[in-house]
Amino acid sequence: MTDILVVDDSLSMRYMVSLTLEEANYSVTVAEDGEQGLQQAKVGNFDLVITDINMPVMDGLTLVSKLRELDGYRCTPMLVLTTESGTEKKAEGKAAGATGWIVKPFDPDKLLKLVARVVN
Amino acid sequence: MLEVEQKKFEHIRKSLSEEDGRGAARILPGEFYVTDKDEIITTVLGSCVSACICDPELKIGGMNHFMLPEMDEPGSRWRNTAADAAHRYGNYAMESLINDILARGGHKNRLLIKVFGGGKILDSMTDVGQHNIDFVKSYLHAEHLDIAAQDLGDRFPRKIIFYPSTGRVRVKKLSALHSPDIAQQEKTLIEEFKHQTIGNDATLF
Repeated sequence: MTDILVVDDSLSMRYMVSLTLEEANYSVTVAEDGEQGLQQAKVGNFDLVITDINMPVMDGLTLVSKLRELDGYRCTPMLVLTTESGTEKKAEGKAAGATGWIVKPFDPDKLLKLVARVVN
Repeated sequence: MLEVEQKKFEHIRKSLSEEDGRGAARILPGEFYVTDKDEIITTVLGSCVSACICDPELKIGGMNHFMLPEMDEPGSRWRNTAADAAHRYGNYAMESLINDILARGGHKNRLLIKVFGGGKILDSMTDVGQHNIDFVKSYLHAEHLDIAAQDLGDRFPRKIIFYPSTGRVRVKKLSALHSPDIAQQEKTLIEEFKHQTIGNDATLF
């Protein structure tokens, strides 16, 4: 089974994204900020990380770059799911090591298509 | 940094307030605006809702104005779930506003939140206003954010005048009979939603 780590400080978003992924039979673990996500990633072995950007404690782009330094996550796909749509911010995401960028509000069917594409 | 951030609000209409000559930003359905300047934000609500949110310590605040799409297309597997179009759009409207305030240094536990609108001004089978009210209340409850003040529901449109540096809000109740353009504007919005997919922008690097 494919294990996905979802990191977002909004409970509503965590619920919405989990519901979407679980509907497609993915196994989902959630974290409330970048630091919690980093700790979860160290103890787990996730096939995909989906993270928000603006979060307390540690933001999503810092999380992505810190995960890229870990042996187990050098090649793991990481998608950013955010309200930010500016090209400069996207460039920052790419530089941090993100695999892709999805702007909220997301379309659940498109999210699932993208997830299927990056985990296979 | 803030100059760059402000670019996303370039389309917002600005004028000088008739009352005290301060700058006034007027927002329309689907828009939001955040400022750290001593200006006013106004909007007119029918069945739409607005959240007026500020961090009084930093004197930063903003307002959104939104209506939820009624529901997903028949046959969508997301219809009537927490991932339906209404939830996705509503979350986006609230999160965009809150994130912008937090990105400028605002603190979640200091946010002063006031919500308005959701009047039953449309003659439709479903109470669109109540739908919007229920969403905004449940969203804030789920996010552990308290509502400091509210003026919701009833049968009239409202003009909202928000002072984002202090959090003060003035509400002018408008006569529904004298505001036919508000109902028409909202009907158009509901129709537009029917031809839109909520969520499109995805990129692989």
